Amino acid sequence: MPDQTFLDSTELVLNMGPQHPSTHGVLRVILKLDGEKVLGTECIIGYLHRGVEKIAENRTYAQFNPYVDRMDYVAAISNGLGYCLAVEKLLNVEAPPRAQAVRVILTELNRIASHLLWLGTHALDIGAITPVFYCFREREEALKIFEKYCGARLTTHAFRIGGLLYETYDGFEQDIRDFCNMFIPKVDEYEELLTNNRIWVARLKNVGVLNADECKEYGVTGPVLRAAGVKWDLRKAQPYSGYEKYEFEIPTCQNGDTYDRYTVRMEEMRQSIRIMRQAVESIPEGPIMGKVGKVVKPAVGEAYVSIEAPKGELGYYIVSDGSTQPYRCRVRPPSFVNLQALDRMIHGGLIADVVAVIGTLDIVLGEVDR
Amino acid sequence: MADEQKPGGSQAPPPEGGGAPKPPAKPAGEAAKVTPKPAAPAPPPKPPAIMAATPWDSDLARELKERFGDRILQTATYLGQNFIVAKPDSAIPVLEYLKLEADFDYMVDITAVDWPKRAERFDVVYILYSFPRNERVRVKIYIPDGYKPETAVGVHLTANWLEREVFDMFGIEFAGHPDMRRILMPEEWQGYPLRKDYGIIQQDQRWVQENLGIESGQ
Amino acid sequence: MRKLLKKIFLVDLFQGLWVTFRNQNPKYIYTEQYPAERPKVAERYRGAPRLNINPDNGETLCISCNLCALACPETLIVVTSARSEVTKRKELITFTYDTSRCMFCGLCEDACPVDALELTQDFEMATYTREGQIWDRQMLEEGPKPTQYKC
Repeated sequence: MPDQTFLDSTELVLNMGPQHPSTHGVLRVILKLDGEKVLGTECIIGYLHRGVEKIAENRTYAQFNPYVDRMDYVAAISNGLGYCLAVEKLLNVEAPPRAQAVRVILTELNRIASHLLWLGTHALDIGAITPVFYCFREREEALKIFEKYCGARLTTHAFRIGGLLYETYDGFEQDIRDFCNMFIPKVDEYEELLTNNRIWVARLKNVGVLNADECKEYGVTGPVLRAAGVKWDLRKAQPYSGYEKYEFEIPTCQNGDTYDRYTVRMEEMRQSIRIMRQAVESIPEGPIMGKVGKVVKPAVGEAYVSIEAPKGELGYYIVSDGSTQPYRCRVRPPSFVNLQALDRMIHGGLIADVVAVIGTLDIVLGEVDR
Repeated sequence: MADEQKPGGSQAPPPEGGGAPKPPAKPAGEAAKVTPKPAAPAPPPKPPAIMAATPWDSDLARELKERFGDRILQTATYLGQNFIVAKPDSAIPVLEYLKLEADFDYMVDITAVDWPKRAERFDVVYILYSFPRNERVRVKIYIPDGYKPETAVGVHLTANWLEREVFDMFGIEFAGHPDMRRILMPEEWQGYPLRKDYGIIQQDQRWVQENLGIESGQ
Repeated sequence: MRKLLKKIFLVDLFQGLWVTFRNQNPKYIYTEQYPAERPKVAERYRGAPRLNINPDNGETLCISCNLCALACPETLIVVTSARSEVTKRKELITFTYDTSRCMFCGLCEDACPVDALELTQDFEMATYTREGQIWDRQMLEEGPKPTQYKC
């Protein structure tokens, strides 16, 4: 070691966020740095805390439904599906097959929309500006389908407890088919832009590694877990809403680094298209609303239901006291739990990796803070 | 026990018609409307007022009973979902046992439920999942206000933030937690928002005035 | 060797540039020139609320049943009514709808038994004041009148 007296530096504490574009919202990270090396991080969250769980206790079951869209607002439909499934579990009813098929199609479409937003912003963080325009162009097509189906683009309120409110519109199937056909070449295009790009590879390979054991220890789910080599997807492990009827693969990788998470998500979009194609060809006829009364009033009890949201396991733990309002509605947010692993992932990395790792975790602060 | 969830069985479902918008108003409104109820404790815990859970019969439940004896208060299942009720001080040994011997290697969530009328005011609920068994189980403990359950960080690292959130929202302190601070609310905030006696529009006026420079956040 | 050549000749970068170049074609222009070009919103779009009137006689369709106010999660609808001496039926007096708090979930629309309250395709609801966001019965029946900007 050379003489350190001139080069010796003290630890630097750097504040990143909450108004920092690459923290994807209002995440504040306090970084402890030695030169460019990250020695430790601390996340300060809660800037977007709206008390969703408290609101739930003061609304009826049906009234709370639109609020869940506002947690993970880029995947509002997944949130709604999880909530509806949880209340349906408490009521012990199931949505009719037609409703389930439509739900699957829209949820997968929403997964694509969510992953597109992730890809665009993640690439933007790394320094590739082009993908964000292309991603938003394709995402727009998905949002248009949501708008046609339920009248809103982002916070959709698409599903109701017990099934669906809206029947599919004329040309819904064709729209989905068109989207599928249009989208597959687009994914290839993104891959052409990024997968082999030397800057992209250099910035992502071996950055933010989280292996399988650490993932389980931190409770990390979703693409992050699958990138570490664990072949686990709730759609396969504990199928809900008729996912057992469709054939699809669970994409996995081995290294658990940022590049693998990118690969996993790209492949997941292709698998979502595969599910949508199967589902749209086999939408059964029949009613779209299950046997649920006008006033939703589950028996006293509790249930925990979780689904595979684009970010990971999204769970709802609802306690009912037999009234029309949930006694307690706990949301298990995937982003919140995944964000906890941030410290582990960037420990010892460089400051530029922080941005890459926050991007790859695919957090939505609306869901972290609720 | 399950039938202790609603002490006295006096908590009838609130009257129909939208319900009261605020929970603090609820007990008062109820008491006014159902005045004859408290006088007659007779209809012993109304059947719909408790969770219709059935005993959970499985190898795991038997193993747990054998291992922990009377420290396991209940093993039950409701709607096909299993849960274990343990004594407050044995939650961590149970979690450890489940992780090491029964492969419940993924802690999904920690949360709490507030039952202000009950002697043991809070439920602390640990939701676990096992990758090899593809099975979920909930471990619950009933604790009185002020009781400090032991932290689960030593068993599952993910408990760190989840316990902080429970502390933030309910004021349940976990003994031995490495970093017991508020997580979502500002650190100086007074009060615990998810307790039932905290109104929905209630807020820490002083904090709002000092830090935001406005009269009220409403 | 091939790898080295690929690296020297920047194959990966040119591959990406080619994608960008392909998309330069003017026929791929996607951006809407909003004020000049009006977007077509979907039929089911949930936008500005409207209180429908009977086109034949100009009377309101609202029967003052208050169901929308009960269904609203934000309780932003206030309906007042009085029993008419002549018809012995409830008649609407005022109807206030606070659009500043509305999240356009559509629950009021679902709750309405006579299709009087409806979320329409109007989406330009900006006002200069907060009070302007609170719509009274007249505003709800006539609908918003946004300024049309022409280029």
